[in-house]
Amino acid sequence: MKKLVLAAMAATVTLSAAAHDIVPGEAQQQPIVLQGGTLFTITDGVKTDTDLLLVDGKISAIGQDLEVPSDAQVIDVSGKHIYPSVIALDTTLGLTEIEAVRATEDSNEAGDITPEVSGHVAFNPDSEVIPTIRYNGVTHAQIVPQGELIAGRSSLLQLDGWTYEDMGERLNVGVHVNWPRVGISTSWWESRSPEEQRKANAEARKHLERAFVQAKAYYDAKQAGELEGTDLRWEAMLGLFDGSSTLFVHANDQRQIEEAMEFTSEYGFDWVLMGARDAWRIADQLAEAEVRVVYGAPYGLPTRHDEGFDQAFATPAALAAAGVDFAISYPGYWDVRNLPFAAGNAVAYGLDKDAALEAITLAPAKFMGVDNEVGSLEVGKQATVVVSAGDLLDPIGQKVEMMFIEGRLVDLNNRHLQLYNKYKQKP
Amino acid sequence: MISSNRLSKLAVAMCAALPALASASQTTTVQGLHDNSSDYVALQNATIITEPGRALENATLVIRNGKIERINENNRAPDGARVIDVSGHTIYPGFIDAYSNYGVAQPEKAQRGPWFSTRPQYNNKREGGNASNDAIHAHETWVDTAASDSKTAESYIQQGFTAVQSARLDGIFQGQAVTLSLADKIANDVIYRAQAQHFGSFDKGSSQQQYPNSLMGSIALIRQTLSDAQWYEQAYGKDAYQGSPVEYNAALAELGPIEQEGIVFKVSDDKSLLRAQAVFSEFDVPVTFVGSNYEYARLDAVKATNAKLILPLDFPAAPEVSGVTDSLDVDLADLRHWERAPGNAAALASADIDFSFTLHQLQKAGDFWPNLRKAVQHGLDKDRALAALTTIPAQIAGVSDKAGKIAPGYMADFVIAEGDLFTDGTIKSVWLQGQEKELAPLRQADFNGSIVADIAGQSVTFELKGDERVGGEVKVGESSSKLRSARRDEGSLSFVANANLNGNDGVWRFQLEQTAEQSFAGVAIGPNGNEVRFNGTRSETTADTATTENSPAERVEYVSRLTYPNVAYGHDGLPERQNVHIKNATVWTADEAGVLENTDILIRDGEFYRIGEDLRTPSGYTVIDATGMHVTPGIIDEHSHIAIDQGVNEASEAITSEVRIGDVVNPDDIHIYRSLAGGTTMAQLLHGSANPIGGQAQVIKLRWGATADQMKFDAAPPSIKFALGENVKQSRYPSWLSSRYPQTRMGVETLMRDGFTAALEYRAAQEAYRKLSRSEREKVAPPRPDYRLNTLLEILDKERFVHAHSYVQSEILMLLRLAEDFDFTLTTFTHILEGYKVASEMAKHGAGGSSFADWWAYKFEVYDAIPQNACLMAEKGVLTSINSDSNDLQRRLNTEAAKSVTYCGMSEHEALQMVTLNPAKQLKIDQYVGSIKEGKHADFVLWNNHPLSSYARVEQTWINARNFFNRERDEQLRAELQSEKQALIQKVLADPAAQNGAANGYKREQPAWHCDTEHDTWLGTFTAHAHGGH
Repeated sequence: MKKLVLAAMAATVTLSAAAHDIVPGEAQQQPIVLQGGTLFTITDGVKTDTDLLLVDGKISAIGQDLEVPSDAQVIDVSGKHIYPSVIALDTTLGLTEIEAVRATEDSNEAGDITPEVSGHVAFNPDSEVIPTIRYNGVTHAQIVPQGELIAGRSSLLQLDGWTYEDMGERLNVGVHVNWPRVGISTSWWESRSPEEQRKANAEARKHLERAFVQAKAYYDAKQAGELEGTDLRWEAMLGLFDGSSTLFVHANDQRQIEEAMEFTSEYGFDWVLMGARDAWRIADQLAEAEVRVVYGAPYGLPTRHDEGFDQAFATPAALAAAGVDFAISYPGYWDVRNLPFAAGNAVAYGLDKDAALEAITLAPAKFMGVDNEVGSLEVGKQATVVVSAGDLLDPIGQKVEMMFIEGRLVDLNNRHLQLYNKYKQKP
Repeated sequence: MISSNRLSKLAVAMCAALPALASASQTTTVQGLHDNSSDYVALQNATIITEPGRALENATLVIRNGKIERINENNRAPDGARVIDVSGHTIYPGFIDAYSNYGVAQPEKAQRGPWFSTRPQYNNKREGGNASNDAIHAHETWVDTAASDSKTAESYIQQGFTAVQSARLDGIFQGQAVTLSLADKIANDVIYRAQAQHFGSFDKGSSQQQYPNSLMGSIALIRQTLSDAQWYEQAYGKDAYQGSPVEYNAALAELGPIEQEGIVFKVSDDKSLLRAQAVFSEFDVPVTFVGSNYEYARLDAVKATNAKLILPLDFPAAPEVSGVTDSLDVDLADLRHWERAPGNAAALASADIDFSFTLHQLQKAGDFWPNLRKAVQHGLDKDRALAALTTIPAQIAGVSDKAGKIAPGYMADFVIAEGDLFTDGTIKSVWLQGQEKELAPLRQADFNGSIVADIAGQSVTFELKGDERVGGEVKVGESSSKLRSARRDEGSLSFVANANLNGNDGVWRFQLEQTAEQSFAGVAIGPNGNEVRFNGTRSETTADTATTENSPAERVEYVSRLTYPNVAYGHDGLPERQNVHIKNATVWTADEAGVLENTDILIRDGEFYRIGEDLRTPSGYTVIDATGMHVTPGIIDEHSHIAIDQGVNEASEAITSEVRIGDVVNPDDIHIYRSLAGGTTMAQLLHGSANPIGGQAQVIKLRWGATADQMKFDAAPPSIKFALGENVKQSRYPSWLSSRYPQTRMGVETLMRDGFTAALEYRAAQEAYRKLSRSEREKVAPPRPDYRLNTLLEILDKERFVHAHSYVQSEILMLLRLAEDFDFTLTTFTHILEGYKVASEMAKHGAGGSSFADWWAYKFEVYDAIPQNACLMAEKGVLTSINSDSNDLQRRLNTEAAKSVTYCGMSEHEALQMVTLNPAKQLKIDQYVGSIKEGKHADFVLWNNHPLSSYARVEQTWINARNFFNRERDEQLRAELQSEKQALIQKVLADPAAQNGAANGYKREQPAWHCDTEHDTWLGTFTAHAHGGH
């Protein structure tokens, strides 16, 4: 039995300043016991002074004073906060390196209807951005093509690995639709009259409907063996019709959401609502219809002038109060690292702290269809664990000291630490 | 009655015949015969409103030679005059529109297209002594090309107008207007005032020149141009300082006497009215404003300008709310304005502000009177309304000596109306220079009612209805038949109908003529072609439906509140200043005292008075029990772009140090309130980063409800925005458009060096001029005052402090060394994401750094940005702050500061200082604000929790001991706003005419400005800001 001192572990973080020494973690070689931590299990409350046994990339035991296997590495985490996987939904991590430099941008394919593209295909595991996201405790991210009406398919990746193949938690989870605009803009850059706007909105809606009619027709013809050729667009949407794939509808306005609810129920899709700024306005209906909601504006201004200044902050609490099944996302790429703080901000505006944690762990795992693997600290689940010296959701608490993804110890070093350590040495 | 009808018809015929001969003027040679027709006319039995508030009953107006000869109160018509009986009618002075483009050439349409569609044009073509900016047309005197235009005149005359003040409505200085009659005569005979007021606006109009592309740029251009005009008066004819003659400049020459002539200036809202007043009053130029009908929202400030207004009557159409979800797109502010815009004139009248009305902006001239009557229903006094059409516009147009009243010697310009025009009257005719323009017959037969006649021995009843179009039926015994092919003129009505009269069954033709009030004479032609004459008598009159529709409605009652600003969450007034005792708080002083537990604060006269434990409450103090709460100083944001109207960048030229954010502060911006709700009390509003040397900054206190001027923190020394790197070298422009110097970081350095060098040489020239003898000054012109260079001199004189947008270490070093070369200290580098790389160099120079907490990767120059930047800078002795540059982040700078605790272990006290005391120091206002210290302003925030925590929420925000945000009040307000909005929606839904009115009649939402928002506010083009681009 080796007793590893935490400081020594943390030291791997700060050793060198070279650009590409951040090596993906090795597969777990021996059992690891995290001893005496405060476990935020999500499914079974908060357990203080509790041990966690990780074996072969899985959580094999949780309890106080667990018996330590003879070959185990024991890490004292007493007083530390232990979390399950933190899952960032709705990101372009690995697709965008520097937004203003077009050559580094791989998120937006040409055309309105591009369900055939998949986020993981262009994913750059060596993006300098990714290690900075892990550093704040995020273990997984959904990689989402941007684009117009039907944007493409997203994949859920672990944020440590050599290629998207070994990082893939689940590839091609579902198809993303950006719901067509509704309503009338009075912004001063809007030069179209209300009438023209209504017409354009209706036309975009028609365009989307036609695409789904085509996709369904293709599916039916394929079932009947009546296809005369392959169409990659409709191939990509087949899973929507047999239930093997999820439809992610990005919609913020109440009217968009209502339209999407009606549309998806007509088709009987398995679907998730993304964005959902106005979800608070129809929270009861969403709860009633059991719509899963990924709320995307935990930081953000009110949508409309007359809304309360804290409407965006307070929406998660409103969803929770109505019994909506929701997760919290913070869409983007470099700023995804603020996801835990964003969840914390929702607590300031009325959300229960446990619910906030669940909204970035178990809820997204469920929506991605991987909750049997990740999302909570439960025996049998993946050994994906985040160790922080303090409260992960609070900037004055968070200090992520260790991260395991499927039992692999993740290097928390990153471009920022490297530059920090380099320039600390400048006279 | 019939006879006078005929007479008036004859008069019309005579008038109509006149122009063919009468058009000869005094200097035109006569072709053929001379026209010496008599135009000696007496209008008898009239009610004459000689001027607002003065009515003569039963009087006679005598006119001759196009002028009013006299008014006979005894109603006697002079011998020899053609007499017209106008009994039952009222004569008003002819109406004057003081804001028109009648009779002058129209501008070419400005090219409007996407931002990158045309090559930028920096300089204009110089010709004929024009100004150096194509938005300045001051050299134009519109009398030179004015010409009558009977077709356009028609639409004015229909509404009763007889004269207009007119110029081409294009650009910033639009040239000098001409006041002219709308009579259909040669131009020489219609000019009432050849050189009336100048016209102007902030909009550059058809100019394709880049400068100005923002509102503040337009204001700066006005300021420089007025200064140039003053300079030109002394300079022209002399040699410039270096020896070459001062250029000929017709535009400046024409602007010389503008202090006497005045300017009519069009503004888009109440805020811009106050802005225009501010800049023109610097040069003592009297301004008449073409208003927006938003003036009621800032009535006191508008009153204080002492200016007259010209009001368009294009009230906005109500926002669409009839659909079940339509109201999602509707702001309370717009609903409020819909309700109150028609009451603007009444509000101005109640404040005793003079105003006139204009047809300008009305899409349909025919809406003028219905809208004016609406203004009367909203409480506008009728005499005021008449003054707004007559005496006031006459003053504005400089023709009070000849128009706007009915008085001897005045032009014979008047309106004859039946009934009260301000409730339901109709204009019958308009007289221009003694010539009648008939709109409707003075008298017209009235066929309404049941007219009974005996035709061929049988009793026939005509049931008739209608004035212009008459309908009804013919009844014979039990049978009746509908009128067909009805046609009427002033005196008679003809129609056909089926009838069986005396056995003649078929289609009869009838004609009726009124002979007396209730008597009619008629002719009927039977199916057999025989003619029967008959007389008829009216037995009863049907109600005149037209007049009941126009009958004065009840005085309008408002359901909306009027707040400051007049948008949702506005205050009823400035919150009251209180003396306060805060008890038992955790006090984060952000000063040497550090964090104090269980501490009391006494606030007296707007300042922190005592800080200590268990203090006694003096009498009259408001007590706040802050047990469990935290108190911090108000948060100060070094880098903000909220509360700015119409452009954050004057992105046209590379140096625009003359433009001032202070000129365009937007006190109505909801982000002021939202920032207060996040604990922010002060912000430095910075120009964007499109230019190496941008505009002047403005430090404000977020006094929600105050005017723009009241928000400015005058104790803050002047500051200015510089910018370096990708934005200023136009990195995201397509290469074919990037012609502006500089395009590299090398050029940024030389451009700045050139600017400062030019400023110093300008000063040398001024000093040399001062030393010239009086006789030498006869020949040598003074150097032209230059606002741009003056601002650069203020920097060199250490009177204005530089906040420089910067990212990478090379440019930071460059600017440090440049500043050292010119012997000034760079005050603050803002953004400064690579500050950590040159922190010791910055510290040595004495420059501060104001950074983002954790932004990076959104563009190449921030690829080396790190969240430990603030720590490294602070550790090396750089005065460091955290800013927002974002209307969202500005609401949570507390947790942004906390990130230095997260990433690099800064102490919490120091982290809080980064958003309080340190930015106060960077703005050089730390003797007033930035920490909780006895004697400083009582700007503070009450938090429910540790102020750096995710879980912290603002309970109250105070500025100078006034409570500007209070969470409980906010909750209450939300409910009130909700019911107010519903009441307004009900009002819209209940009003069948709600959708009539101007489209786009509301203030438009301002974009969320960012450093790199490049936008031409006048051409309506702008570059979309990239997510995260700063």
